[in-house]
Amino acid sequence: MLLALLPFGSVVAHEMTPTYPTFDASFMSGISVTTLNLFNKRKDVSYYEIGVFTDEWEPVPFVSQYTVIPMEYLDTVSFDVYVSNLSLSSVEYICSISQLKVGATVSSKICSRVK
Amino acid sequence: MKKLLIVSLLLTPHIPAFAEETPIVGNVQTRCLITTDTNGVFGNPLPSKLSTLSADGGVVPVVRYDVTLADSYLAKVTTPTSFSTSPSLTDAVTWTGSTTVTNTTDAGMSAYETGKVTYGSTTQYDLTIAGSTWFSSEATAVYGGTKSFPGGSYTAIVLAECIAK
Repeated sequence: MLLALLPFGSVVAHEMTPTYPTFDASFMSGISVTTLNLFNKRKDVSYYEIGVFTDEWEPVPFVSQYTVIPMEYLDTVSFDVYVSNLSLSSVEYICSISQLKVGATVSSKICSRVK
Repeated sequence: MKKLLIVSLLLTPHIPAFAEETPIVGNVQTRCLITTDTNGVFGNPLPSKLSTLSADGGVVPVVRYDVTLADSYLAKVTTPTSFSTSPSLTDAVTWTGSTTVTNTTDAGMSAYETGKVTYGSTTQYDLTIAGSTWFSSEATAVYGGTKSFPGGSYTAIVLAECIAK
């Protein structure tokens, strides 16, 4: 029996900033935007999924360049999150969730909070 | 001779000592970094049991959280309740798991272990102190009471979350 799995080196990391993003008016009326940064130091992850949630962890509709961001190892990516002003008051968390390659054993999720 | 020396010193133009102040600037952002220090490995001490405990021949996965601002994040670590990849299993798998703080960079973080909240397979810690904390998650899977796990590759996922407060 083949048991579990150390396919991807040792130290790997996932980071997202800022901790407390703020929304500003975008170039479109009725739409607000904020910018976040992702850093991928995980060789076992090539994609991060973005999600926007309420304080009850209900999904909030949003638009970004990518819902799933492709990232190479050691890439830093800035991405914009656009939310309708109608939904803005319900936005509480913006999260990035690692999408693991086969064999990876630790999934990471970092959530910034809109205060 | 002495007078000549004094006069020459007085007449020598002073070389001003120009001093430039070169600032070094930096910005430490509030951030949370999740690092996988050790990937887990299942040991197979019994035909019906897979375990990450070292006593069972496994390796406990270790996740490190680095936070740069105190009292800004919650850490949630969830041990697996299913395999992400495995051979076809026809019987139920019973999972047990736990997460503990195994290392810290600040003595005050020892309170994390007593203050943790566990619900289901998730353990939540309030990261009230800036610095690094190492969490170890043990996981054990028992197949169908005493049935033997079929041969093949087994993978299970530990979920490490860092949620801004």
